[in-house]
Amino acid sequence: MPVVKAATRRVLAGMGLVDRRAGVHAHPELVACEECDAVYTRRPLSAGELARCPRCAAVLGRGHLLAVDGQLALTSGALVVFVLGNVSDIVTLDLRGVHTQVTLWESIWFTWLSGQEVVALLAGATAFAFPLAVILLRLYVLTPLVAGRRVRGFVPAMRALRWVTRWSMVEVFLFGTLVAIVKIAGMANVVPGVGIFSFGVLTLLLAANQAAGLHGIWQQASALPP
Amino acid sequence: MSSVVPTAAVSTAAPTAASRGLLGCECCGLVSEVIKAAGTPRCPRCGFALHARKPQSLQRTTAYLLAAAVLYLPANTLPIMATASAIAGRESHTILGGIIELWQTGSWDLALVVFVASIAVPILKIAALTLLVFTARRQSRWRQVERTTLYRVLETVGHWSMLDVFVVVLLVGMVRFGAFASVEPGPGLLAFGGVVVLTMLASASFDPRLIWPEFSIDD
Repeated sequence: MPVVKAATRRVLAGMGLVDRRAGVHAHPELVACEECDAVYTRRPLSAGELARCPRCAAVLGRGHLLAVDGQLALTSGALVVFVLGNVSDIVTLDLRGVHTQVTLWESIWFTWLSGQEVVALLAGATAFAFPLAVILLRLYVLTPLVAGRRVRGFVPAMRALRWVTRWSMVEVFLFGTLVAIVKIAGMANVVPGVGIFSFGVLTLLLAANQAAGLHGIWQQASALPP
Repeated sequence: MSSVVPTAAVSTAAPTAASRGLLGCECCGLVSEVIKAAGTPRCPRCGFALHARKPQSLQRTTAYLLAAAVLYLPANTLPIMATASAIAGRESHTILGGIIELWQTGSWDLALVVFVASIAVPILKIAALTLLVFTARRQSRWRQVERTTLYRVLETVGHWSMLDVFVVVLLVGMVRFGAFASVEPGPGLLAFGGVVVLTMLASASFDPRLIWPEFSIDD
């Protein structure tokens, strides 16, 4: 670290520009339970093995069934079905010869037009924007990692990934389409479209990816030069 | 590098991180020891602010909970959607009304799912988090394992309450037959979405480590 005067350093630290990591020593050999704060020593886990905290039963870590290349493959698949799900019709309705088709985007747009803009934004964010961000950020981080490199901006990308994963709700949206179909089945003829099947596959792929968690990616990347 | 790097495992039990001067990063999981702090220490791996417990956890959780409880009333009494059709005319639907309708048309299984997601989960979440905040504030040692499990369940099921928001948005998109039939979202839907977001924020603000006060350090 270059020599900076104490006052300047304080100002910069306030702006988040100076290393407040100085004076902090990492203990990569330890793991702290996220739910009760008990500390344990790490040991390698075999694939599929689950380590639980003996005190509170929270998951401390799991042996990856999928290495990063497997995770990358799943994410690439997720991108394909995500695009497919968004351009295809979710269902086609037939009411006495009058047809309507609907995509996710049309539903959100008509909700916006009917005066519930905030609800439209909420649905658009959780069913479209955040899942897309999850997929793109995973691709961005994992592609270089498979080649043994750490991408530029790895840290902010991973921190953003943690946030968007929490607010991505593809699986709830999928179930919502099923409930909506049942609700109008008595009124009109409903034919499920490609969109609903794409969202079904997307749900499975994202769930398989998220089961691995992010800590393994952090660990693997921290062994690599930035 | 293609070999699998296993994450973590238990070997020897030890006291808590905080009592040993260690801080576990809430973002990337790395455990660090603060030697010399200048302001809030940061995780050496990911730069996330390190603290023994989430700052003002109980105050923030309480604030979100109160807001969610206030919105719960309009969410359930105002219509979440209005249907208009040539035959039945204009009708308003509340959440409970929609569930009863599903039940009466024979879809008892879906009625149950929507009931759990829309009515039971939000109210149980508000009640459970209130219990967690109350017991954590009293530094209670009552059923700590079960309370931690309860928190874990809340975190897992919380976002399923968004179900009814998606159902209405999709119905608005699907049912567009002009004068024949149409669906419009109602003001209750906004309140309901607010309840879901606020309860999710409340459970994210709560720090489950507060369930285990006997092992913490005094701040």
